[in-house]
Amino acid sequence: MDKLQYADVNRDVVRSLVETGPRYYTALFIAIGVTLACFFFPWFYQLYYGIGAAGMNHPAVWGTYLASFIFWIGLSHSGTLLSCVLHLTNSEWRKAMYRSAEAMTLFSLMVAATMVLVHVGRPWFVHWTMPYPNQMELWPNFRSPLLFDVMAVATYLTGSSIFIYMGAIPDFAAVRDRTSGWRRHMYVLLSLGWRGTDKQWHRLGWAYTFLAVLIIPLAVSVHSIVSWDFAMSIVPALHQTIFAPYFVVGAIYSGTAGIVTVMFVLRKYMNFEQYITRVHFDNLGKLMLVLSLIWTYINILEVFTGWYSGTSTELEAMKYKMFGYYAPLYWEMIAFCAVAPLLLISKRFRTSFVPMLILSVAVNIGMYTERFLIVTTSLSRQYLPDAWGLYVPSLVEVSILIGSLALFTTLFLIFVKIFPSVSIYEVKETMATPNRRPSEEGVPQWQPTS
Amino acid sequence: MATHIIGLFHGPDSALAAAGKLRGAGLPTPELQSPVPIEGVEEVLGVKKAVIKRFTFFGGLIGAASGFLLAAGTAVLWAHPTGGRPIITIPPFLIITYELTILFGILATVLGFLISARLPAIRERIYVPEAAVDKFAVIVACDDDEHRGRAEAILREAGAEEVRASMEQS
Amino acid sequence: MNFFDRFTKGWQKYRKPGYYEEFDYAWTMTIDLDRCTGCSACVTACQAENNIPIVGEKAFAKGRQMQWIRIERYWEGEYPNAKLSFIPMLCQQCDAAPCETVCPVSATYHNQDGLNTQIYNRCIGTRACAVYCPYEVRYFNYNDHHWDAPLDQQLNPDVTVREKGVMEKCTFCIQRIRTAKDEAKDDGRRRVRDGDVQPACVQTCPTEALVFGDRKDPQSKVSKKLKDPRAYRVLEELNTLPSVVYLKKVDADG
Repeated sequence: MDKLQYADVNRDVVRSLVETGPRYYTALFIAIGVTLACFFFPWFYQLYYGIGAAGMNHPAVWGTYLASFIFWIGLSHSGTLLSCVLHLTNSEWRKAMYRSAEAMTLFSLMVAATMVLVHVGRPWFVHWTMPYPNQMELWPNFRSPLLFDVMAVATYLTGSSIFIYMGAIPDFAAVRDRTSGWRRHMYVLLSLGWRGTDKQWHRLGWAYTFLAVLIIPLAVSVHSIVSWDFAMSIVPALHQTIFAPYFVVGAIYSGTAGIVTVMFVLRKYMNFEQYITRVHFDNLGKLMLVLSLIWTYINILEVFTGWYSGTSTELEAMKYKMFGYYAPLYWEMIAFCAVAPLLLISKRFRTSFVPMLILSVAVNIGMYTERFLIVTTSLSRQYLPDAWGLYVPSLVEVSILIGSLALFTTLFLIFVKIFPSVSIYEVKETMATPNRRPSEEGVPQWQPTS
Repeated sequence: MATHIIGLFHGPDSALAAAGKLRGAGLPTPELQSPVPIEGVEEVLGVKKAVIKRFTFFGGLIGAASGFLLAAGTAVLWAHPTGGRPIITIPPFLIITYELTILFGILATVLGFLISARLPAIRERIYVPEAAVDKFAVIVACDDDEHRGRAEAILREAGAEEVRASMEQS
Repeated sequence: MNFFDRFTKGWQKYRKPGYYEEFDYAWTMTIDLDRCTGCSACVTACQAENNIPIVGEKAFAKGRQMQWIRIERYWEGEYPNAKLSFIPMLCQQCDAAPCETVCPVSATYHNQDGLNTQIYNRCIGTRACAVYCPYEVRYFNYNDHHWDAPLDQQLNPDVTVREKGVMEKCTFCIQRIRTAKDEAKDDGRRRVRDGDVQPACVQTCPTEALVFGDRKDPQSKVSKKLKDPRAYRVLEELNTLPSVVYLKKVDADG
């Protein structure tokens, strides 16, 4: 295969935006249909009937909705965070994949915010959590971990949408020149009149780096704060100092697995074989391996400190989690998130596409189970044994869970036709320019492999 | 009326060299347009001021102050006792402060970027569409024919693939 | 007074803990487990007084019963030698309530009577307070409830009916406390006298196991009960400082 030229990148990316086959429309149609049928329809039913449409009951007042919220927030953690870290460390392999990884962040955050609306009892009043002056002279409670959550997620949503947009301005300009009709009008507006002058590049570089620097601590704080929703309570097995790092690691872990899934799909169905390569899967695999080991370590630590504390409530919670009603789910989680990723030690595994896809999906199933267990096992076994109970999700909840996946897919499908899902200018940066000798300039030669 | 002479180059090095020569020949500082950021522009065309960092810094400061005042101020003006804690509790307010510091920092950075990069562009400016694909353009504003001739000569000598003139109303 | 002055004054006042000591009342309930027969009269009285919905068989089976006060039963030992003990469990009106700090919209807070209040029309239904409450005494309206034809006539006009998606819990019959305070004001008294106000459960208790009063008044019945050596608080180790104090049941075998 010939080496990629600059013009090829523009051609390929514009092709991915403009050429739309029947397969895409089928996928979009199915995704929208499933979203309406499995997400919005049950949700409207629940709005009409009340939260009772879900399976929650007296001791277990939180259920899959909150588990899904943590899951989607967690999935959002790899995209922008990883992209920022790799940007600051000048990693070349980031450049072909970061745009879609950041999109994953954005859309999973949006789905997470929707899950909050699904979760609360009276979503039509949810704006009361925002601090704004009002005639009632009422303000939110700035002492509440849930309010920290609102602030952190709102900031994160703002930050990551700005970050993905700012990185895409030059690409919008490049696409603007090659499209026509309504697309051209859209890209004219989106590109803000970008010309690519030396001054503009200089400003963009600085602004982008500052944003990256700001977003890294923000992303870490977001999932710490989500963990505090639980850790600030005095519920046995939730009231733990390890929770913040546990959640952050778990979030990056499941997010990285999510990126692998998305990369596989993009590569396969958007014909980006020359851009998303085995190198990316290899590196993401290494990252997943490290994260899975840290995650396993924290899980062992959680059990150990619970056992060591020796208090009856803590011991009961541990015992219930590992050997109680939900025990099969616990061991499934251990198998998917702690044992299976050990396969990543083998380079052959890391560079094979289909096994990586299967593993990444398995890890995310395991991580969803983890969130589910955190919510359910500890709430159904609290201090007073008279108030112990059992929580089983209802059909509405299962349906909304499936529907939220479809909602995410719909948003992503719309994204790939509007945003250049591979960054044009940053991919070009990784390629050797014609009259610059790569060995002298330290610019690595672009090596297409597939 | 000013004319712009545009030279298109195949690579960043020759474009940079041409820009340096133009500047050395007493012509106005040329502008580069390129598909990727070019390294080493500042050595040739002079150091650019990075104003964005001030926006970020002061945005963050304003965010920190407003975050703390929002939390502590509403607590003081509408006393709201919860959980046996004092009305003004510093640690949770610091978290609000932290988040708003970052939020305002991000917004100020965007503002700084838009202002300093002159975006969104309202007025039509000189633009070389090839520079968004694979060409590196050097653009120099010339007032008279003498300048124009010199600029064209320098650009051709530096290896420009194409040299053309563009008229701009100003 | 301008904003800055108000802020600095407020800062000096509110920065220190112990804000609650300035409150007028500290309503307290003692429950003598030696006297409690577990008859559930208090549960019924509460149901009638506070418009608590009857959820029906299906919802009860799902564990969505609404009982602001409930009788917890604990069995010890096997059948021939089985021992049953019970304990009425209601909102403990904690002074350091975990549920209050977590509400993002301030729907629950500590009022000037030292009560832990729930503001139904501010509640958005995050249910975080129910998770944070170690006593499990907060009840959530999973759906709208209705009262069939003659029953709607017996709703208490002093108490609201809660809509779906709202958390609710024991208020120590705050409507009765308000009335007693109003009457005290009309009579020109500064304080409510001991025995002027009783929540429905206390009023109904046939064995007088439940005693209610103000613990800031050293002469009140409840203050005397608090000095009983049998007095303890449930889950005291969590340091939530409950306002409901139990008097331990003393058996013949210890």
